[in-house]
Amino acid sequence: MGDKKIHEDQKYIHGLLQNNSFIIQAIYDTFVPKVINYIKQNSGNATQAKDVVQEVLVTIYNQAKQKGLELTCPFDAYFFLLCKRKWLNELKKKTNKEVTINEEVLSKDDDAFTLAFETTVFGEKQELFNAMFQKLGDACKDLLKATFKIKSMEEVAKSLKITYAYARKKKSLCIGKLTKLVQESPKFNQLNNY
Amino acid sequence: MEEKDYILFENYLQRDLSASDVLAFENRLAIDTAFKHSFITYKELSGYLEQTLDEESSDFKRNLMHISEAHFNTIQTEQPKAFRKRFNIARLAIAASVVVLIGLFLFKQLKTPTYKDFNTHETIDLTVRGGSVRDLVEVTKAFNNREFSKANTILERLLKTDSENRQLQLYYAITNIELNRFETADALLIAISKSESVYKNRALWYHALSNLKQGKTEVTQSLLKQINEEADDYEQAQKLLNKLE
Repeated sequence: MGDKKIHEDQKYIHGLLQNNSFIIQAIYDTFVPKVINYIKQNSGNATQAKDVVQEVLVTIYNQAKQKGLELTCPFDAYFFLLCKRKWLNELKKKTNKEVTINEEVLSKDDDAFTLAFETTVFGEKQELFNAMFQKLGDACKDLLKATFKIKSMEEVAKSLKITYAYARKKKSLCIGKLTKLVQESPKFNQLNNY
Repeated sequence: MEEKDYILFENYLQRDLSASDVLAFENRLAIDTAFKHSFITYKELSGYLEQTLDEESSDFKRNLMHISEAHFNTIQTEQPKAFRKRFNIARLAIAASVVVLIGLFLFKQLKTPTYKDFNTHETIDLTVRGGSVRDLVEVTKAFNNREFSKANTILERLLKTDSENRQLQLYYAITNIELNRFETADALLIAISKSESVYKNRALWYHALSNLKQGKTEVTQSLLKQINEEADDYEQAQKLLNKLE
């Protein structure tokens, strides 16, 4: 994507990053109705559409924040592809069956296709990380939550009534444990083969 | 990795290593693949934790949920109005479609149907499947761009490791029809149409199209008659049948 021109719809990505209610509202008014229609026409309902849209927007937000997302295609095409994939995956999980797919012309937009694919992979990694984080023991979970919320390790140590040195060491070992859990997951290897 | 390695990762990320230790660390990254992979994952997880556990992300999620609730509540209360509007659009769309269909019908009546009249394959997206994702992306792109020879090669490769996958079999068969390799295509399509797969009706339709392309009108007609009313391609099949009779 390096040399490609950033699309003017990058404003939606900025808006999400800034937690700008006006932009988020605009996304719901402009792009979400199409997603709702699609999901309703494909064995879903409005509540399921609501969940899909929210999860996709959180993934876009996380990707933009962690990796810097640069949109080289219209937001509409990118966002719709992401929601559609998410929904088809949900259907697949539910029915454990093959799903027939009626693609639309906009998936031929190469940039939208590639960007949506990257975001899907990113989102799946996040889901995996989250699942593995839940597998950690409570002591690790509490320490990591405190570490990343409070930010200062001195204060973390104080709040958990442990020494600073022990808090630092424990943080490394907890992330280490998480690293091991993630690396042992077959899905992680699959996701890394892109 | 050992405990001391994870402590080293953290110290490196926090810039708490001396210049000589940084050098030693980076040298090890360059030569020790397992060490490098673990470090990349450790770093990625630190980024993930920092993003998902901090206050800013929680604020964003709260705000998003609030806007989402409001939006979905509004559309639910506006439902009847929205329905009327859609209904009018739907009526207009139906009227327009009828005009277009009549036009198409009159036009198509003038000539004998050929395979090319019907080979407007729906675009596909195989990337929702598991497997070798790079290949799945490539084959999706190739198929949708009508580069059937390229798609055929990738599908053949994918089927080597996932030979029972009906979806891949179907698209592989379609590329074979496009490349005039009818024997391979027909064998696969027969197998799919006799299976319990969700693709069985579509396989029947493509088996008919394969025979149409081979000039076997009677076989085509017989196959088209087997496509049931529930199938997505039923209307197309009836249209083709009418022209052939």
